[in-house]
Amino acid sequence: MGDTPISSDLIRGHIDTIVLGLLSTEDRYGYDICKQVALLSDNEYELKEPTLYSAARRLEGQGLIRSYWGGESQGGRRKYYAITPDGTQTYQQNLADWKRARRLIDRLVSGEAEKE
Amino acid sequence: MEAIRYYVQGAFQGVKMTPEVLEQQEELIADLTAKVDDLVAQGKSKDEALGVAIASLGDLSTLVSEFESADETPEAVPTATVYATRLDLHVILISIGIGAAVMIASTILGAWARLIHPGAGFSLLAVLAVGIWWVSEAYSAYRESPDAVETRDLVYKARFRKALLVWMGVAFGSALINVVAQTDFWCWPIWVAGGTWALTVKVEERLSRRAEFQAPSSPASED
Repeated sequence: MGDTPISSDLIRGHIDTIVLGLLSTEDRYGYDICKQVALLSDNEYELKEPTLYSAARRLEGQGLIRSYWGGESQGGRRKYYAITPDGTQTYQQNLADWKRARRLIDRLVSGEAEKE
Repeated sequence: MEAIRYYVQGAFQGVKMTPEVLEQQEELIADLTAKVDDLVAQGKSKDEALGVAIASLGDLSTLVSEFESADETPEAVPTATVYATRLDLHVILISIGIGAAVMIASTILGAWARLIHPGAGFSLLAVLAVGIWWVSEAYSAYRESPDAVETRDLVYKARFRKALLVWMGVAFGSALINVVAQTDFWCWPIWVAGGTWALTVKVEERLSRRAEFQAPSSPASED
């Protein structure tokens, strides 16, 4: 674990993929998504609700996720998000792109060719 | 929780209360309430939990600014960033496909009703040539730059109305020439071609909303 918190700049460009990834396993509501991000990052990164809502509106506009209202809870109805088939496809593509970029960046920042 | 409701409604002050805004507020209230409940379950007092939950939201102004202000402001033209050449090629292929189907059906119907005379063949050939040229131009543009990105105004009603007026004008004009010149009934392929052009507006309206034609938007801004 690093000594300093992860810069949000490093993660900013991947929020859509992170949200799609979390929705690829099950439908989730906003706070649940934020909690999962904190959990998966060992509290090193916090996805704030306003950022999540902006991303969700964008993804829904692109047809990659859809939303529906769940049952009443203490604070009112919860809005759930579900991934669409287009979203699943985009997620797989983004994931593959990320893996390729990660390998490349690893090589570039270490200044060494990948060892076979 | 009334305090959460007050906080959220206060944050959205000055925003036009559309159903979309009300839904966003409802979502935020439900999520904040769940967060406060979690913090209380972890041993915090209700007031403390409320303070922590609200503070953890950070700045709401970016989210709020995504909604229309209640002030009287001129309506902005909606736009979309699309893969232009890919979209145009699909629009033209689909429209010409539908136009061709109508053309074939009209030909069969016209032949059966004995309304089509040899003169129609010339205009049909001319329309066919224009169609081929149209597709080849769109395909060349696509081959040249398949990922060309363009921001387009999503204003289709006015464009469709204009296209329909042009279509009606062309149809009326060609029919008039037919009648005045007492020539063969050659104008029907022109009618169909004009209709196909108007159809492209409707096809583009539908396709431009689809994810595969939308170019990635600018990265999300955190905090």
